[in-house]
Amino acid sequence: MDSANPFLPLSSLRFRFPSPLVLLGFCLAIALMLPLLYVAFSAMTADPAVWRRLWATRVPELFLNTFSLSLGVAVINLTLGVSLAWILTRYTFVGSKIWDWLLILPLSIPSYVLAYTYTYLLKRGGTLEQVWQTIAGPEAVFFSPFSFAGAVLVLALNTFPFVYLLARSALKNFNISFEEVARTTGADRVTTFFRVSLPLIRPSLIAGLFLAILYVASDFGAVSLLRFQTFTYAVYQQMTGRFDNTAATCLSLILVACAFVFLFGERWFRQRSRFYQTTSRYRKPVPQPCRPLTALLFTGYLLLVFGAAFGLPVLLLIQWTVKAASAGEISHVFIGYVWNSISLSGITATAAVICGIPLAYLACRRQTWASTFCVQGAYTGYILPGPVAALAVLVLVSQTVPQLYGTILVLLMAYLVHFLPAALQGMESTLQQLTPNLEEAARSLGARSLRTFFHVTLPLVRGGFLSAWILVFVQCMKELPASLLLRPVGFDTLAVRIWLEASEELYQLAAPPALLIVVITIPVVLLLMRKDRT
Amino acid sequence: MTPPDDKPIVLALQNVSCSYEAGTRALEEISFSARKGDIICLLGPSGCGKTTTLRAIAGFEPVASGEISLNGAIVSATDRHVPPERRRVGMVFQDYALFPHLTVRDNVGFGLAYATADDRRSRIDEMLSLTGLSELARRYPHALSGGQQQRAALARALAPQPVLLLLDEPFSNLDPDTTERMRVELLHLLKTTQTTAVFVTHDHEEAFAMADYVAVLNNGKLEQYSAPETMYHLPVSPFVAEFVGQADFIPGTIRDSVVVTQLGEFPVPKAYRGDSEVVVMIRPDDVHIRENRDGDGTVASRQFRGSEIIYGIRLDSGDFVHSSEASTRFFPLDSKVELKVIATHTVVFDRKAWTTQRVF
Repeated sequence: MDSANPFLPLSSLRFRFPSPLVLLGFCLAIALMLPLLYVAFSAMTADPAVWRRLWATRVPELFLNTFSLSLGVAVINLTLGVSLAWILTRYTFVGSKIWDWLLILPLSIPSYVLAYTYTYLLKRGGTLEQVWQTIAGPEAVFFSPFSFAGAVLVLALNTFPFVYLLARSALKNFNISFEEVARTTGADRVTTFFRVSLPLIRPSLIAGLFLAILYVASDFGAVSLLRFQTFTYAVYQQMTGRFDNTAATCLSLILVACAFVFLFGERWFRQRSRFYQTTSRYRKPVPQPCRPLTALLFTGYLLLVFGAAFGLPVLLLIQWTVKAASAGEISHVFIGYVWNSISLSGITATAAVICGIPLAYLACRRQTWASTFCVQGAYTGYILPGPVAALAVLVLVSQTVPQLYGTILVLLMAYLVHFLPAALQGMESTLQQLTPNLEEAARSLGARSLRTFFHVTLPLVRGGFLSAWILVFVQCMKELPASLLLRPVGFDTLAVRIWLEASEELYQLAAPPALLIVVITIPVVLLLMRKDRT
Repeated sequence: MTPPDDKPIVLALQNVSCSYEAGTRALEEISFSARKGDIICLLGPSGCGKTTTLRAIAGFEPVASGEISLNGAIVSATDRHVPPERRRVGMVFQDYALFPHLTVRDNVGFGLAYATADDRRSRIDEMLSLTGLSELARRYPHALSGGQQQRAALARALAPQPVLLLLDEPFSNLDPDTTERMRVELLHLLKTTQTTAVFVTHDHEEAFAMADYVAVLNNGKLEQYSAPETMYHLPVSPFVAEFVGQADFIPGTIRDSVVVTQLGEFPVPKAYRGDSEVVVMIRPDDVHIRENRDGDGTVASRQFRGSEIIYGIRLDSGDFVHSSEASTRFFPLDSKVELKVIATHTVVFDRKAWTTQRVF
């Protein structure tokens, strides 16, 4: 910049960030995309015989399973999410405010923890079957947890809050005039709901379903414990049982390709069905008080859903933990696992936020094709399921620097590829809210770009960056497949312990780490939701 | 309170009260009725209960006491509440509430769910051509201008041939030019379709331009229900007098069945039964001024309005009146003038009541 020229237009400041930033962003994006690109490359150059074998044996079954699982979860999510959101936005009764908060809590239970409590609850002669037999007779049997129904139940209970939350905010901000005008033209309540309310909140429902399905398709923890064959589980089995990384890369490519199609499908659909509020002034729904009997019915329903998705599993965990503690099973070994998890998560979160800064800057302050490329590249990790991210990093490292294999660095790389998008999303939106005028003001007062960043930008976005750090930290604490596949020998994290003990049906041993993860996650979930509500 | 007429009564409210919560009255003892083809306007400041009245008629607010009947059948009472969808009232909302997921055509056809496909089609076409929307039938609401959205909302409300049309501040979302045009269009449409309509506004000019009868509400009470002309010239309360146009009040005393004021003597209205200390309502169009060095008024303000000029005159007594003069008649500020009041009717209020009731 020519500081001697006092007539330099101010606006040009905005486009004169140091080019090292772009360079840095570019390197980061490449580093983040490389594993995926490598997987795609090695899958496409794989021996056609491998592809033929997979198509003939595994792929149709995996497709069918993954698809039907997603569909089953979607149907239950829609029913639960819409009905719960409707009850809590349209009626008030004793405790309705508290339910609003309680229904978020299921998000704090990792899928494998929920799955493991249900393998206990649903097992032959287990608690639920006993209850069921007192109702339906001694011969009655409950479905096994190791079945399609079991997998659908667990994953639906784990993901319905996505649909509930989005349906809730859509119904809460609904322009009630739409329903009233339908009523004046002769439509009754039910018709109005199906012809007016439901179509109008459809975009929100689709967005919620999209999140839930993406979660289900990339879930590894629950399906592996319930031994339900989906793509992610198959990738894991190919890598560990058969040591066949080539087949694993092929399956991964199929899964990622499906995710891409799904992602673009959702984008396309959302753009097509963007509904416009005709004015900014409108009448919001006012929750109506309801009769005691109705309130009782609602409370019963809420209690059932909440109990199944959170209350019962957590009670079990507490009970087991107490037993384990009194049996002296919580020892210094357990503290070691806690330390492993916390240090690993802390390092990853810090690295993710630091790497996220240049990328978030590029995304918000410079709209060029290069920055778009960098940012979109960094976001590709978003659709990589955990086992695929692990496989990608593993394959890349073993082909290029095999000395690194089996060290903690590989695991960190996988975490970063997997979780940086989550950090980036939060940081980008924080930075977006900060007007560039502030930075321009600082620079017009003679501050260089680095000084501007540290003295103006950073203090203002600290809160947002901190929540990005916490988000990544918690996600890492819960992370299972990459930890399982890439951990150095003897370096177990809490999630790994839970999974190992639960696979052996050692319920009591798995409970303390599971409870700890749930307890750590709850405040974060509540924090994120509170931000969402203001 | 029903104007004498031979047309059937479509809407009747009898002593209707509404309350949002127990204890607080949003409406108190409202009664009025409308005959077929009448256009009724509910006029009042914000929070006066006019929208509540409209929503009670539509069936969105229950009544705490009294009853509402449509076409002779009771639809709202303390022990009876016909749901909105069975009242056959059409409603145009302030924000129009056009369904954003449906085209104009489907919006208009929404209320025709029970008609045969042919009837439905022809009725939609009829409504679209009546409102001049035939060309825009395939558009979505967000692609319409404000005026077009209003016409679409109107077509949708009228398509099922409602017994009564309700409009909630129908012009508040339009710019002034469009408002003027839409008023004319709406009036024409309502008169050609012989629609009975109730609409809500806070603008007295709009009420006067559109309505056959105006109901002025204040604090949940019906102050006056009458034709616009009567309301302007013979307001029943100081509130109505000031709400429906510029009004000044000068003190007077009744002596020998005339009101003696500083601006001359006026006959006492026959219906007046109050104290002899009164105030007389003076409208600017009743006051005429002439330049006169010895006059008892001083020109204190001037407001040019195009077709007229409103002069504010301070009287030597300290009272203040306004005068509407042709815009060519120019009086400089601070000049002395003499006033002459020519009123066809005299409107007087009890002075004590007037002092305590003043709202402005």
